Amino acid sequence: MTEATTTPTPSPAAGGGTGPMLEVEGIYKHFGGIHAVRGASFDVKRGSITALIGPNGAGKTTLFNIVTGFYSPDAGRIVLDGESIYGKRPYTIARRGMVRTFQITKALAAMPVIDNMMLAAADQPGEHLPKLLGRPLASRKREAEVRDEAMALLSTFSLDNKADDYAGTLSGGQRKLLELARALMPKPRMVLLDEPMAGINPTLGRRLLEHMEELRQNDGVTFLFVEHDMDVVMNHSDEVVVMGQGETILVGTPDEVRADQRVIDAYLGGGTGATEDEAEAHAALGLDAPPSKETPDAR
Amino acid sequence: MSAPLEILAVNFDFLSAWSFWIGVGILAGIYGIFTLGLQLNVGYTGILNFGQVGFMAIGAYSAVIMVVSVGLPFLLALPVSLLITLFFGLLVGLPTLRLRADYLSIATIAFAEVVRITAQNARGLTGGNQGTINLELEEGKFFSDPWLDASDWMTANIFDPIGLSGQDFLNLPLLTVIWLCLIVLAFGLSRLVRSPWGRVLRAIREDEDAARALGKNVFSYKLQSLTIAAGLGAVAGWFLVLQLQSVNQTAFEPIFTFFGYVILILGGLASFPGVLLGTVLLWIPLEGLRFLDLGLSGGQVAALRFILVGLILILLVAFRPQGALGKKEEMVLSD
Repeated sequence: MTEATTTPTPSPAAGGGTGPMLEVEGIYKHFGGIHAVRGASFDVKRGSITALIGPNGAGKTTLFNIVTGFYSPDAGRIVLDGESIYGKRPYTIARRGMVRTFQITKALAAMPVIDNMMLAAADQPGEHLPKLLGRPLASRKREAEVRDEAMALLSTFSLDNKADDYAGTLSGGQRKLLELARALMPKPRMVLLDEPMAGINPTLGRRLLEHMEELRQNDGVTFLFVEHDMDVVMNHSDEVVVMGQGETILVGTPDEVRADQRVIDAYLGGGTGATEDEAEAHAALGLDAPPSKETPDAR
Repeated sequence: MSAPLEILAVNFDFLSAWSFWIGVGILAGIYGIFTLGLQLNVGYTGILNFGQVGFMAIGAYSAVIMVVSVGLPFLLALPVSLLITLFFGLLVGLPTLRLRADYLSIATIAFAEVVRITAQNARGLTGGNQGTINLELEEGKFFSDPWLDASDWMTANIFDPIGLSGQDFLNLPLLTVIWLCLIVLAFGLSRLVRSPWGRVLRAIREDEDAARALGKNVFSYKLQSLTIAAGLGAVAGWFLVLQLQSVNQTAFEPIFTFFGYVILILGGLASFPGVLLGTVLLWIPLEGLRFLDLGLSGGQVAALRFILVGLILILLVAFRPQGALGKKEEMVLSD
C-alpha cells in the first residue's frame, strides 16, 4: 500500500499533497434517537485500496453518505486531499474529485449508455445555459472530446458495443461496470464504491477488481469500498477499516484485521464469545482458523 | 362530411368552416406553447409542475397591467411581463423545488390558485371578478391596438393577396403568429434538450442522487427548468389575452393545467413535436363538440366534451401508453 506514496512520478490524479487522501475524524450522526454513526475516525492513504467492513447496521453506508455529502453530519472533520469537505454539498464534493457509486446501482436507465458516460464528464461548458448559448462552438468541441474519452473508457470495460443501448437494458453486472466507468469519467482523485461486488457474477467481479488495481497503479486513483465478500476484502485491499455499532473499531492491514478479536466480537454483536461462536464468526468472516489472541494496534 | 347525418340530427357543417379551424388552431397553439413548458418540466426534468396556469395568469395580467395601469408601450410591456413571470418562477421554485415530487405538485397547484384568487379579489389591479380589466386606455385607444395594427397589416399585405380575407379570416394573423412562435419555440427547445445542458436535465429526471454524485447542481437545473416553463406560460398568457380581447380569472382555473397534462399524455412524454400533435388532438374534439347539435343543453354538451376527452385518454393509455410520439423504451425503462 505504500508503493503509490513513494512513486517518483505521481500521476495528476494523485494530487499534489503528501498526506492521506481522506481524513475522517470523530464523525457523529443521529437520526432521531438512533445514533447511526458515533465517533468514526480513519484515514485513507493516498493511492490505496481501502475496504470498509462491518456487520449490517454498523453505519457503513451512513458514513459513506456523510463523507460524500448526501447526509449532513452532526459533528466531526472530513478532509479530502488537504481540503475540508465537511458539510459540503454532494455536487461540490464530486467536483473536488471524490466520486461515489451506490449500493443499489444508479444507472440512468432511460438514457443510452454513452449519455450516462458523457454526463459524468467534468468541465463541459455546454452544461451551463449562458455558455451553451454564448459559445456553442466551445461546447461542441468539448462534446467531441468527451465522446472520445467515454468511448475509450467503455472499451476498457468491454461496454463499447453497448454504447447506444439504453442503460436499462444492461444486466446487473454490466450496470455495476457502467457505474464504475461513469465514476471515472470526471477523472476523480478518489472513488467510493458501495458494495461493488454485490449481485454480480464472479467473472465480472474479478474484472471490476482488476480495473480498480489498474487504475490505482496507472492513475493513482484512491479507492474506498464497502464490501461484505471477505475474500475480496482480504485479498484486494491494502487497508481495512472495521466498523461496529457506528464506531470505527480498528484500522489495519488485512492480516491485522484477520487476527483481531474485536473484529470477531463486532460481527458477533459484542461480548467475549465462546469458542463455538468464535468458530462461527470466523466462518462468517471467511477466515481460515481462529487467530492468536494478540491484538495489534493499528494506529 | 358536410352532409347532415339525418338519424342523429348531427350537422358537421362546421368542419368546413374556416373560422372553426382558425379558432381551434389558435387555442391549440396557445395551449401548445403553455404545454412546451410542462414538457420541459415533466418530460425532461421530472418536475411535476401543476401550477403552469399560474404563470400563464401572471404573464397575461402583468402584460395588461403594464400597458393599462403603468402606461408602458405594448412592445415594452411584453419583455417586462416576461421578467416579472420569470421572477415568479424563481420565487415559486426556491422554496418548493427541494420538496419531493408529490409535495411539489401540491405546492405548485396552491401557488396557481393563490395567483388566480388574488386576481379575483385585487379589483383595483385586475378588474376582479367582474371579469375583465378595462382594456380601454382612453377614448378609442385599447391595450391591444399595436397588435391589431399589425394584424391589419398582415391581412392587407399577406392574406388578402392570396384571397384569405374577410370575416372568416379575421383571426388568421393571430393563428399565424401563434403557430410560428410555437414551432420556433418547440424547435429551439428540442435543440436545447439534446445539448449537454439537456442531458443533465434528463439525468435529474432519471435519478437526482446519481446526478448529484456526478457533480451536478441538481437544484440549480430544476430552478432553470421551472423558470423557463414560467416564461413559456407567460407567452401563452399574452396570446390568450389577444385572442379573448379580455383577461378574466376563470381562464386560469386549475383545469387548464390539466389540459396541458392531457396534451402531454396524448402527444407523448419527452417529445416537443408530441406537444404540437397532442394539442391539436385535444382541441379538435373539445371545440368540435361545441358545434354539434345533439339536442342537449349547454351544460350537457360541456360535460360531454370532458367525457370524450376522458375516453380518448383511456383508449390511449390502454393501447399506446407512450403517447403519439413518446418513446416506449424510455417509459418502460424508467423505474
